[in-house]
Amino acid sequence: MQETGLISDYLDRLGDALRFDRSLSRGVVWEVEDHLQEAAAADAVGDRREAERCAIARFGDPHAVAAQFASVSLAREANRTGAALILVIAGVFVTMKSRVVWYAVTQWVVCDDMKAVSGIAGLVDRYSFWFSVVVAIGSFAYINSRCVSPILDAGYHRQLRLAFVLSLVATMFLAVSVISDGVLTALHLRSTELHAFALVPIISMAIEAAGVGVLAFQIRSMTRKAVSIAALLKT
Amino acid sequence: MEGEMLKGHLDMIVLAALATGPAHGYAVIEEIKRKSGQAFDLPEGTVYPALHRLEQANLLTSRWVTAESGRQRRVYALTRRGERALAERRAVWEQFSDAIGRLLEGAPQCKKPA
Repeated sequence: MQETGLISDYLDRLGDALRFDRSLSRGVVWEVEDHLQEAAAADAVGDRREAERCAIARFGDPHAVAAQFASVSLAREANRTGAALILVIAGVFVTMKSRVVWYAVTQWVVCDDMKAVSGIAGLVDRYSFWFSVVVAIGSFAYINSRCVSPILDAGYHRQLRLAFVLSLVATMFLAVSVISDGVLTALHLRSTELHAFALVPIISMAIEAAGVGVLAFQIRSMTRKAVSIAALLKT
Repeated sequence: MEGEMLKGHLDMIVLAALATGPAHGYAVIEEIKRKSGQAFDLPEGTVYPALHRLEQANLLTSRWVTAESGRQRRVYALTRRGERALAERRAVWEQFSDAIGRLLEGAPQCKKPA
């Protein structure tokens, strides 16, 4: 039977309502299209337009359906942020240790007049790094121990906010650690002539900074999604 | 059956519908209707967020296949964790149902208000 366009109109509205999560939207629209086409084809009414209309009516309002995906989308984003946090911290740790080994192998030390600054930067680096590790593990464990709520009610909202704040705090402390690493690297570079060996600490610092950049992007994307969902739920 | 009552048990209902084997969303809804003797007439759009939520909780797994119609179709299946969760929920439900049954035993049946 010939399609009437009712289903594609409905899918457009559903896709628009799900615009807070593009990748989720694509998959859901495909699934719902398959559902509606099958439901319309299975309808014994005979009139295709009426069959499509009934299938759409049984499925429900696209905004209401999209709103039910909000908690799934935010939970997925929180999970992704938690996993990214753990991976980036592990990456920064490996890079940091590799750089220290490199300094030892090349016998590259900070000049005496900068030892005091280097000591303070080292302390800040160490404490902020390990604090970010503890908070990130706590955040990841917290996110994974929560059940995804069917609706985005006040209780679930609070849980997601806590997960978000923990991820943000861990990222901020990791950023402080990376900045301290940057200071230490600059002190090392200042203590010697620049040569090809200097590329190793510079590249390793770039990797650490990129890792923090990825986390900042992830947190920004989570914030934007939350704002977008809040706007959807208001309409 | 009351919509709110159904929503409270939606996860168990969806898991139970998938206990017989992998299925796509439409087939899950049809299975719910069939197994419940048409008693559970959910708004169909509520089942898909539940499927995604259960997948997020690792109780279900999904894969995309191409249907005979040529359309993309997402097929869901219970994971081991999902099977365990269903068994646990079934046990809790049976306890609850037995308790309510005993409570209502002998209670006079009220007529529905007109």
